[in-house]
Amino acid sequence: MRLLLVEDDSAIREFLHRGLSEASYQVDTAKDAKSALALAGEDLYDGFIIDLGLPDMDGLDLISRCRSQGHTAPVLILSARRSVDERVRGLEQGGDDYLTKPFALAELLARLRNLLRRSVPGQPEAVHLRVADLELDLVRREARRGSELLQLTTQEFSLLEYLIRNAGRVVTRTMILDRVWRMRIDPATNVVDVQIYRLRNKVDSEGKRPLIHTIRGVGYVLKEA
Amino acid sequence: MFSRKHKSHGISAAWRIAIWPTTAFALGSAVAIAIMYFLIARDIQERSDAWLSGEAGTLADVSARTPRDALYNRLVREVAELAAREVSDADDSHGQHPTSVFFLQTQPGQDPIWVGPSPKEPFIAAIQQAQLTPRALADVHVPGWKKTFRVVYKSRGDGSGLYLGFADVNGARMLNRLTERCLLVWGITVALGFLITWLVAYRTLLRVDQISDTVSRMGSEDLSSRLPEGRYSDEITRLSRTFNRMLDRIQASVHQMRILTDSVAHDLKSPVTSIRGSLEVALSDGTHGQWHERVAEAIEGLDRLSQLLNTTLDLAEADVGALQTRKETVELSEVVRHLVDLYKPAMAEHGHEISTNLQPVLIDADLSLLNRTIANLLDNEIAHLPLVCRINISVRAKQGEAELTIEDNGPGFPPELRSRAFERFVKGPHSAGHGLGLAFVDAVARAHGGRVEIADRDGGGALLILTFNEAVTENVGR
Repeated sequence: MRLLLVEDDSAIREFLHRGLSEASYQVDTAKDAKSALALAGEDLYDGFIIDLGLPDMDGLDLISRCRSQGHTAPVLILSARRSVDERVRGLEQGGDDYLTKPFALAELLARLRNLLRRSVPGQPEAVHLRVADLELDLVRREARRGSELLQLTTQEFSLLEYLIRNAGRVVTRTMILDRVWRMRIDPATNVVDVQIYRLRNKVDSEGKRPLIHTIRGVGYVLKEA
Repeated sequence: MFSRKHKSHGISAAWRIAIWPTTAFALGSAVAIAIMYFLIARDIQERSDAWLSGEAGTLADVSARTPRDALYNRLVREVAELAAREVSDADDSHGQHPTSVFFLQTQPGQDPIWVGPSPKEPFIAAIQQAQLTPRALADVHVPGWKKTFRVVYKSRGDGSGLYLGFADVNGARMLNRLTERCLLVWGITVALGFLITWLVAYRTLLRVDQISDTVSRMGSEDLSSRLPEGRYSDEITRLSRTFNRMLDRIQASVHQMRILTDSVAHDLKSPVTSIRGSLEVALSDGTHGQWHERVAEAIEGLDRLSQLLNTTLDLAEADVGALQTRKETVELSEVVRHLVDLYKPAMAEHGHEISTNLQPVLIDADLSLLNRTIANLLDNEIAHLPLVCRINISVRAKQGEAELTIEDNGPGFPPELRSRAFERFVKGPHSAGHGLGLAFVDAVARAHGGRVEIADRDGGGALLILTFNEAVTENVGR
């Protein structure tokens, strides 16, 4: 997957470049709209990551220019501006997702994955999800660990479904609140941790190999070992 | 430097203010004087014309009736001289020409009878040139005379003609004197009018100048000086008063801003210090486990920092009325239920028992802000209650309003914070937060046209009521 990253701040550009390369993307970087347009004119990209505050052009204009050049690949907008209007305008002008700074790299990767998957149509929806001996039946809304049927609340099932869909990848608290509870809040207390803790008590009960792991400072990951 | 510049502006403005009304007044009065002049001039001419016609008639009569004997010429001349004296009497002696009346009677085959200034030749020549029509009055210009003569001509059957001419020198002189005086009075009035207008404008603008002097002297450091409000209750005083009120508000908000900056700086310093410390320890500590732990701590500290920044920015936006809301119709109790589901386990961890009493009620609200507001209140409960408390949350519709009540049986709000609970950076003695939570709740409530109140609950504990306007629905069934 080839990505074009347009970001004027060199520190952010380098850390994203490293993070994205480690996630095995091929990344070209541009520090302004001019060089971005030059690169976009030569190559085809599978995705764009564009910062709105560029020195020579508004990021939204850059997106419009890319679109008019015939690029249809998804665009992830980065912005320091947090207003709802800004987000809506970004999505209206050809952006596909919007991420506010500061953000967790895990969240950027997750959103990017979502965008790139979305752009490849025609994947059938799975009905069963499985990691090790943990299995989710999405039709019956049932979860089993080995032969044992887990007694989960609706919320807990959704949380587990989200974790298992992202198995092996770190998800942040913000992502969990956004995707599972559908709210953009930033709680001052450990509400998400307690939810995970409860779920973990049921999924990784005594004597079982733990599947839900805490990555301190970042979030959680569901994986074998 | 500044004041000098301002002062010259004031004078030029006074000049501009004075010059236009004065010009208008001068033009208007000049036109009035001109009209008066023409009316009087016409009147004078009409009177002299009337005299001329009447006198010509008399002379023609005399000349016709008098028998043509040796005395005829003398008689006619005497009558004419008599008539001439009638007007010349008033003409007294200081004119160059003692008389400005002439009488001429031409008779075929005889010398004409001439009464009037001599020599008579220029007159006779001028009359002949003028080709007068009988009975009509005409202007005849005689060389050597400034004033034109009004001349009436009567012809008689026997070929003789009778001319009577009159130059109203007297009337003209009177008119000139009148004009001179009018112009003098006009000039004085205009000058005086200009002076008064300019003075009034100048004095008024001097007060405006004082205002701008005071305001320009006022630096951003010293906002305490105020404008004198003056003894008149006019527009300028109102301007000063408005300025003073504005300065009051600016001073208050600058003061508030300083408190805010100080608090933010203070609140930023501690996380920055701890993050820096964590990372430093991580660097000097070689073991991987420790290193990992420190970096995680640093990230957690940064998350708290960005949370603080976001809330501060939201509050700053709310302060300038720029908190953007994207309102949609939402069911308040549904929103609350959803959040309570999220918070219930965390509350249970603290031993709190949470009960709800939710009635459906629709409100127009920004869902994202509403979520954050209620989350804030629930965070507050967890953060401030001692272990094992009872919390009750209820939502109900009440007289066109939606009321969200959160009550607990904890220790209640500290009395000393009660009145300032919604100010930013006001927090309880044991609070680990930034003191922005309730300020944010208040800002969101106000951005929705609602309000938030706190009180003591009957039987102890805190009571917080968040009120929104109920959504106006076009539900016909209700």
